[in-house]
Amino acid sequence: MEASTAPAGTGRGEKAPAPKGRRPAWLPWAAGAVAVLAGLGLQSQLYSGQERTVTTVYMFVALAAAWNLIGGFTGYACFGQVGFFGLGAYTTVILMVHGGLSFWVAWPVSAVVAAVFAAVIGLPLLRLKGHYFAVATLGVAEGLRELVTNVPRWTGGGAGVTIPSTGDLAPTLWLGNDGFYLLFLGLAAVTALISALISRGRTGYALRAINQDEDAAAAMGVNTTRAKTLAFAVSAALTGAIGSAYAFQQVTIYPERLFDVNITVLMIVMVVIGGSGTVAGPVLGALGIAVVSEYLRQHFPQMHSLTLGVLIIAAVILLPQGLVNFVRDAMRTRDFSLLSNVRRYRL
Amino acid sequence: MMHTKKAAAVVAAVALATAGCGSKGEHEASGGGDTLRIGASLSLTGSLAREGGLTKEGYELCRQAVNAKGGVPVGSKKLKLEIQYQDDTSKPDTAAQLVDQFNDKGVKLILGPYGSATTEAAAAVVERNGQVMADSSGADDKIFQKGYKRTFAALSPAHSYAASMVQAINEMAKPKPKTMAFLSADDGFSKTVAESGAEEARRLGFDVVATEYFPSGTSDVSAALTKVKSLKPDVILGSVHVAEGIAIIKQAKELGVTPAGFAETVAPPTPDFAKSLGADAEGTLGSTQWTEKTTGEDKWIGSAADYATAFKAAFGGRAPEYHGAEATAACLALVFAVEHAGSTEPDKVRDAMSALDEQTFFGPLKFTDKGQNLTKKMQVIQIQDGKPVTVWPKDVAESAMIWPGTGKR
Amino acid sequence: MSQFLQATVYGLLQGGLLALIAVGFSLVWGVMNVINLAHGAFVLIGAYLTFELNQWLGLDPFLAIVPVAAVLFTVGYLVQRGLINLVVKAPIFITLLLTFGLDLVLVNGLILLYSGDYRSVTTGYAGDGFTLLSGVRVPLGRLLAAGVALAFTLILVAMMRRTRTGLAILATGMDRGAARLMGIRARHVYALTFGISTAMAGAAGAAVSAVETFSPADSVRFTLFSFVAAVLGGLGNMYGALIGGILLGLVEAWGGQLLPGTLVNAVAFGLLVVVLAVRPQGIAGRAFYASRVEV
Repeated sequence: MEASTAPAGTGRGEKAPAPKGRRPAWLPWAAGAVAVLAGLGLQSQLYSGQERTVTTVYMFVALAAAWNLIGGFTGYACFGQVGFFGLGAYTTVILMVHGGLSFWVAWPVSAVVAAVFAAVIGLPLLRLKGHYFAVATLGVAEGLRELVTNVPRWTGGGAGVTIPSTGDLAPTLWLGNDGFYLLFLGLAAVTALISALISRGRTGYALRAINQDEDAAAAMGVNTTRAKTLAFAVSAALTGAIGSAYAFQQVTIYPERLFDVNITVLMIVMVVIGGSGTVAGPVLGALGIAVVSEYLRQHFPQMHSLTLGVLIIAAVILLPQGLVNFVRDAMRTRDFSLLSNVRRYRL
Repeated sequence: MMHTKKAAAVVAAVALATAGCGSKGEHEASGGGDTLRIGASLSLTGSLAREGGLTKEGYELCRQAVNAKGGVPVGSKKLKLEIQYQDDTSKPDTAAQLVDQFNDKGVKLILGPYGSATTEAAAAVVERNGQVMADSSGADDKIFQKGYKRTFAALSPAHSYAASMVQAINEMAKPKPKTMAFLSADDGFSKTVAESGAEEARRLGFDVVATEYFPSGTSDVSAALTKVKSLKPDVILGSVHVAEGIAIIKQAKELGVTPAGFAETVAPPTPDFAKSLGADAEGTLGSTQWTEKTTGEDKWIGSAADYATAFKAAFGGRAPEYHGAEATAACLALVFAVEHAGSTEPDKVRDAMSALDEQTFFGPLKFTDKGQNLTKKMQVIQIQDGKPVTVWPKDVAESAMIWPGTGKR
Repeated sequence: MSQFLQATVYGLLQGGLLALIAVGFSLVWGVMNVINLAHGAFVLIGAYLTFELNQWLGLDPFLAIVPVAAVLFTVGYLVQRGLINLVVKAPIFITLLLTFGLDLVLVNGLILLYSGDYRSVTTGYAGDGFTLLSGVRVPLGRLLAAGVALAFTLILVAMMRRTRTGLAILATGMDRGAARLMGIRARHVYALTFGISTAMAGAAGAAVSAVETFSPADSVRFTLFSFVAAVLGGLGNMYGALIGGILLGLVEAWGGQLLPGTLVNAVAFGLLVVVLAVRPQGIAGRAFYASRVEV
């Protein structure tokens, strides 16, 4: 599937013989560290409410990077990623509200629950290809939402549920905008780090092989079922952990928001516009989209969604392979023309 | 990769500093100078865009009326009202985020978003930040059971939405119906409405034969209707929003479900209802926060009839409905509280708000210690000749209730 | 028993409307392997056009199907020529994103034009109906909508099997490269396909306007229904969407009788996942479409 993503280059040059002027291997890591430090430095410059806004940006960076593991590297368009987000959130809610457990216990447990769930549904569903996988995962996420809505005793149903976060009844005190800023910055950094590690390891090569030609990869001795199930589970675990943290940050959560298909769509938009199958692409895509949409929302209250739509259409037509892949190819071929880029995928 | 990552950090820092609101230095309290700045997070896009738009009109009308009279008297000064609108895209998390952003800008007085979920999310943040919020549409009683001290709802709470219609039917419907079936959307607000309505019905001696739920926002309620069809209830009472409310009437006709009367919360008073149902809307009862017959006057707007005139003048001849009126009333509550407090300090405004006891075009504004307005009564309307007409309570009724309601179709 | 019969009849009719909404979506997916996330928006445009025609000319919504379909065919043709053809060779995410952006633009454009108000076209007869044995009501409007769905599906099948254009569309859907070698103008054929799909969406919108209420926020719902119906029925079979839509309608109707009303959607999606896990090509589809890897 999507054989054409691969020629756009998916970080496979890292261990290949270095071409002239190749950057040293430690540079991307240093850049990542600088980015995290910049995030920490930024915190002292922000008001509390701005912190919250930036926290949302980090959340989407983490979500996009997590989706990229299954959708970008492996090429399985998971359209139900938000299901893991909601699953993690509601696991946390149930553990904290009904079990009285601390957030710091509920948080890792939620990630594990999401991972196990993904592995279980992955066995039948990862045999599906293309759009069929997309629809099946969408069905799973919608089904989860309905399930959560229909057990109000545990989840509050459509009326929502509140995690006690102040006073003596709270298992863990609310972390404050400062605390959640650090939590989500950490989540974004860890997710990016994990995708960098996977990208460079054996699994990363296996996943990209699956993306290019699954049958050929199997013939070459790649255990495709193991590799893609692993990618799916790790992606789900990260997404579940993000959902868990989000639930605690929001305090009161509702199924229609926690399983909102638009959250999945946003993840995909961010990954594709940044450059799917790369490590930096989703991070950049998420930063770009989140900042632009926040700016539009603040300055054009009536027109922002429409404008965002126009921008997405333009970005998709001009940069169908994503920003990072375009820049990388353009550096190699010395061809920066967007027009010749458009010609590539035109019928 | 490295360049791009570094660039990302720089871009992010720059963009956030600009997209966010200035640097930390220029922290300005609301009411600095001659304006009183109020923040409003509203659903201008997304699934609640329609109601969000109506709420915005109500806020705007309040701003125009107050500024036309010179502004809010605070001590020796008169402050012009300035409302900053932000779009929460109908999502609770964004609404909460926006209230935080207002706090950054020193905007401590907040006008509520549309809907119970967004209001609840905003109320938690308002409480934490020491802001004050006048809630114009979050009616769910759940919001007010959390011990919040800084959120005040101008409107009557959810538990009176269906109960008022049950009382009206009990008093006025002849022959008196015996059985009722409740059909409800499954969101928190609608469920509270349905449960408290069913309780009131049992208390008054009606036989509640069924309570059926369907997904909120659906336009297909046929399953629930098919289920209650064989029970032949005398009254079908819907705890719904506009879409489900219209669907109940449409599909009941399609399925041949014919009770003596339909009663629905929220939907019938909106113009969409009678417009899209035509003759089939005839006789449907609805509960409403406000009508043009509401008694009470205030110095900014005048009477309910004056409000209608002002609204028509401002919005191209359209008649007002209660969404706009409750928004204007919430805004007036803040204006009165600031005036009584003689200050824009949030703590003083909060205290003035909780002590408020004012007659307005919307009816009395007076809050319990939980922040709900129990003094004001809901009204019941009936669609007669294509128009919503007040039929209950008796002292403001324009016309008698026609019963059976479905007789004239 | 009569309650069950009533649910079945209503579910069948409701399914017909769902099928009408889904048939164009399924066609585009089958031929071009494009998931058109803006499909719901085209249905809405059809509904609003019908509303306008009814408002200004008093045209009956079911008669309005003809002009509405014609307008939407043109719109669809141009959208494919001017936009989607530019990226049709790119990976599936790209077309997904493009149509997502298109949906944002169209839906928010409709909000700006018409606000979020609920609308519908009142006909005076759509709610009427007749009673079958033992009190089972058959509403006229929905019967007409289901009839239109059936008719459109039959016309589509006839067109695909018997006209040169239809065969060209099918051939391009199976192997674009080979079709081009045979002298088929793929750009034109794709645009025709998309035009037919949007024309069907427009017809569905006209029917929706007569029997339901609509507002711009409904776009997602229509697209989601189409998604599910197309998969249930399966691709590569022109009757697929019809079968899938009717099945979806029946499952929701029966589920609604046997289970609490709020579980209805859970049942529909559960069925979807099971069908995919057991028989990915759908009930009437061909395995080729489920396993194809090329774009």
